[in-house]
Amino acid sequence: MTIYALYIYDRHCECIYYHDWHQTRKPQPPRAGGTYRRDVARYDNDGEGDVATEEEVAKRKGTVAGLPFDEQAKLVYGVLLSLRNMVKKLSGRDSEQFTAYRTSSYKFHLYTTPTNFHFIMMSDPLADSLRGVLRQLYVGPFLAYVVRNPLVDWDREGQDGKESREKGVDNDLTSSDTRDR
Amino acid sequence: MTVYGVWVINKAGGLIFQRNYGGIKPLTPRSGLLCFLTSVRSLSAHCNEPVTTISDGIAQLSANEYLVMAGTLHGVHAITSRIAPVAKSSGVQIIESESFKMTIHMTLTGIKFVLISSTDMSNAESVLQKVYEAYADAVMKNPFYTLEMPINATGFDARMNAIVAASGT
Repeated sequence: MTIYALYIYDRHCECIYYHDWHQTRKPQPPRAGGTYRRDVARYDNDGEGDVATEEEVAKRKGTVAGLPFDEQAKLVYGVLLSLRNMVKKLSGRDSEQFTAYRTSSYKFHLYTTPTNFHFIMMSDPLADSLRGVLRQLYVGPFLAYVVRNPLVDWDREGQDGKESREKGVDNDLTSSDTRDR
Repeated sequence: MTVYGVWVINKAGGLIFQRNYGGIKPLTPRSGLLCFLTSVRSLSAHCNEPVTTISDGIAQLSANEYLVMAGTLHGVHAITSRIAPVAKSSGVQIIESESFKMTIHMTLTGIKFVLISSTDMSNAESVLQKVYEAYADAVMKNPFYTLEMPINATGFDARMNAIVAASGT
């Protein structure tokens, strides 16, 4: 099973965490002047502190340029929202949860927490449901390192608060990330 | 293994065929007034009979709501292939929720057949293939049919009923 990406959205519909693995189409850095900061996303080819080997460089040549990250994040959230609303409307129940969709080349898994954080994972299309894994991510590292982190201020407005928040999430999930794999 | 509904969406995103089959439950009341009436009724002598039966299946919606959803699905289908993590991807093929799933089959000519069914429906793809056959036979060969327009062919309806009836076994 291959996992391509993890997105976490907060209750303000903002992407607060992104990490990708093994993608052959990679999001590009956000456009200048966009609302997303670069340090939300953890691209494989960010290259901070890691030295690219010849092999890695060659591998990267096989990748295709994707959308700018801010646009990608918006589209992913848009799909989530549209499908969630459609599923709710079709079932006639507000409690009905949209859980996953599949295309020919990837599968999209969604876990929404009661506090409206959306955990999204993209995997290869044959994968079983990964909602359990997403729930584990929430219950384990996310609660321990982000929710209980006094430096994370979810609702503070302004660039100042946003910066510290993003830095907090970033640092914390970096550590949890290595722990989880 | 229940088929709840079938949609046919033309290449512009318009809904040209929509039918619900079995497993439909009355719409749960949403507005405040309805909820109030429901609670009043449940207090009255008829309280034994449930006002809304919650069962598996999908709600009966208005024609307009189906049109809007078909348009949304058309847009989402296009976006899902753009946000793919790998170089080439089709649009969305299966949408899963807790109690039902939607299987989408897009033909080479851009027409989308959508099957809404219970989650344990394992032959959804082959059912859609049969729907496509019925469409080719009963709609495309119909000299009175105008392309991209809503389907009003009794022959197609009859074929659809037969396909749905056979699919559950």
